[in-house]
Amino acid sequence: MLKSTYKPAAAAPPLPAGWTEHTAPTGKFRPTFVFRRHLYYYNATSQQSTYTRPVETQPSSFSQRPSPGQHGYAGDFEHGAQPHPLQGFMTGNASGGHRAFQGGRNEYRRTEPVDRPKTKHLIPGCPQWLLVKTKLGRRFVYNPEKGESLWKFPLEVMKGVVEYDRLEREKKTRIERDGSNKDEDAEITAAAEELRSAEMEVPGASLPPPIASAPTNNEDDSDEYEEVEVTDDEDEGNLSKRKKTEEDLENQPVEFNEDDIAYQLVAMGQDYGLDPGEYGDDGGAELEEGAEGLTLTQEDSSALFKDMLNDYNVNPYTTWETLIEAGQIVEDGRYTVLPNMRSRKEVWGEWSRQRIQQLKEQREREFKKDPKIPYLAFLQKNATPKLYWPEFRRKYKKEPEMRDSKLQDKEREKMYRDYISRLKLPESTLKSDLAVLLKFLPIHVLNRSSSLENLPPAILSDIRYVSLKPSTRDPLIEAYVSELPPAPTNIDGSPEEYEVRLRQRQERERRERALTARQLRVEEEKRKQRGVLHHSKGLLREGEQELERAKTVGKEGLLGYIESDNAPESPTR
Amino acid sequence: MPPVRSARNRKPPPDGFDDIEDTLLEFANKMKDAENASHEGKKRHEVMWPIFQISHQRSRYVYELYYEKEAISKQLYDWLLKNGYADASLIAKWKKQGYEKLCCLRCVQTKETNFNATCICRVPKAQLKEDQMIECVSCGCRGCSSSD
Repeated sequence: MLKSTYKPAAAAPPLPAGWTEHTAPTGKFRPTFVFRRHLYYYNATSQQSTYTRPVETQPSSFSQRPSPGQHGYAGDFEHGAQPHPLQGFMTGNASGGHRAFQGGRNEYRRTEPVDRPKTKHLIPGCPQWLLVKTKLGRRFVYNPEKGESLWKFPLEVMKGVVEYDRLEREKKTRIERDGSNKDEDAEITAAAEELRSAEMEVPGASLPPPIASAPTNNEDDSDEYEEVEVTDDEDEGNLSKRKKTEEDLENQPVEFNEDDIAYQLVAMGQDYGLDPGEYGDDGGAELEEGAEGLTLTQEDSSALFKDMLNDYNVNPYTTWETLIEAGQIVEDGRYTVLPNMRSRKEVWGEWSRQRIQQLKEQREREFKKDPKIPYLAFLQKNATPKLYWPEFRRKYKKEPEMRDSKLQDKEREKMYRDYISRLKLPESTLKSDLAVLLKFLPIHVLNRSSSLENLPPAILSDIRYVSLKPSTRDPLIEAYVSELPPAPTNIDGSPEEYEVRLRQRQERERRERALTARQLRVEEEKRKQRGVLHHSKGLLREGEQELERAKTVGKEGLLGYIESDNAPESPTR
Repeated sequence: MPPVRSARNRKPPPDGFDDIEDTLLEFANKMKDAENASHEGKKRHEVMWPIFQISHQRSRYVYELYYEKEAISKQLYDWLLKNGYADASLIAKWKKQGYEKLCCLRCVQTKETNFNATCICRVPKAQLKEDQMIECVSCGCRGCSSSD
């Protein structure tokens, strides 16, 4: 939809006496453009200057504008004293941002339509010139180096623009043929980035408005814009339409059209620090259609809806009905990107499913904490011997520690009673108990490198740890920890590995013990055998000695044998 | 005598109950309100409608969490069914073709009606007359055929 800011000046009544008309030097101090030449009126007698055309009757209170002599504020006046919508949006906080923005924008639109640049394009063949399209669908060329902008295209630029138009038409048909073309979009956004950086280099010249070619009378200045429009067939078609809108513009209420939505999207994207394309609406090919309005694809709108759900931190476990009843999202502009309730509900289902999966994964990755630890910390903070357990429970039933479903009420009560009974014990007992607790922790759990902030859960979840006051407990633990040897390096980290290693060592010890036992037994055997051998050897030796003795003949001679033979002779017989 | 299960010796619910606890509490509150609401000016059969509606919504919630969003575990789903947070027999019907949106079990109980037919709310909108508004007697359903 094309609109012109042209006001029919012919309808203006003649100036009253004493007033003179002047042209204001507009746009010098503003980054955005205003395409209207600013006329102001000066009364020499009353030293008064105003932007509104004075008539014989008293001008309305609204029309009282400050003096155009204060050039520094010229930017604000052009918006009918409304702050710049984008500025208000940027400074406002993120949550309230869009609503405030919407309101501001609508109001602003109601007062007077103002054209502003919308997209920048590289012109093929003319690297130093940029083609800028405005929100109302007009085009001009801009030279960032020289800071020059012209409605009338120079001849060499004109060729480039014609070429650009041809490319544009081709692309459009291609997009229609095979859906969106991602590469093209990326290219264009890259180009836009480049332009932005170029703009940074020339700070003063950040897109000044084209200098209107100094027309002397009001009547033809707007029509001149039409004249310098590139003779493009689609522009020609729009000309008559534009003429019609000019007349209607003054008395018509301004509706919130697709253009505005697109504009708002871009602004929101900037506010969130997103690149175009990141928030679903790719600023490239679709924005270029400009005046025709942009079309959101199905994916875009559902992605937008999901973004909205993300932004409001909606609980994915709630029901759709409660979400709607809460009404938070209904007021958001992105709620309406989906046409009907059924599609919204579908997208909601999809989103909540994804979100729940995400949450699940996140939770799995998180370290599982012992529920006892927060509860014990809570006890230490709040429990006193003055309260019985039911009283204590009643008093703190709203606290998350008391409602944690991982811990049973029975256990909670038991811990409370234990804690209270331990509070009554003398401090020396508590200290010795803590020392016992610390002593029995293995070296890989508690060593010199462990600090008070990250004590192992084995300590934190023990009642002996919490029953001492922190003021006495912490120095004790610190002193104990400083005496400990450093963390064993071979046992690195996980207790499972430690377990395995421990088991292996035990196995080995057992084997060695078995070996020594066996050796002992073998030794015994050997000794026994040696004994037996020794014994038998002795026996043999004895026999030999006997034989020897027998062989030796004494002084008795054979007599000795005879006497001895007498006795064995009789049995042989 | 069976052991008395109080809050003191109750087993904790399965993992994931904390996530849906708030929504279930909301349903419980709604149900309490519906139970305590005045019956003034209501027809005799209308009194039970909100009760049916809320229990249907709650069953649907649990059903979707388990079968469509896969947000809760089997253990939790069984625990919810066991503890009466959802109607298992109604969910059993929803799994069957043609009964995907069934409002309540009474509406498909043909033997309880005079002509051995299902409730009016089971009739597809296409087969009803133009602009015929229906609210079934048993649960106030305005149409629960799968094709609607």
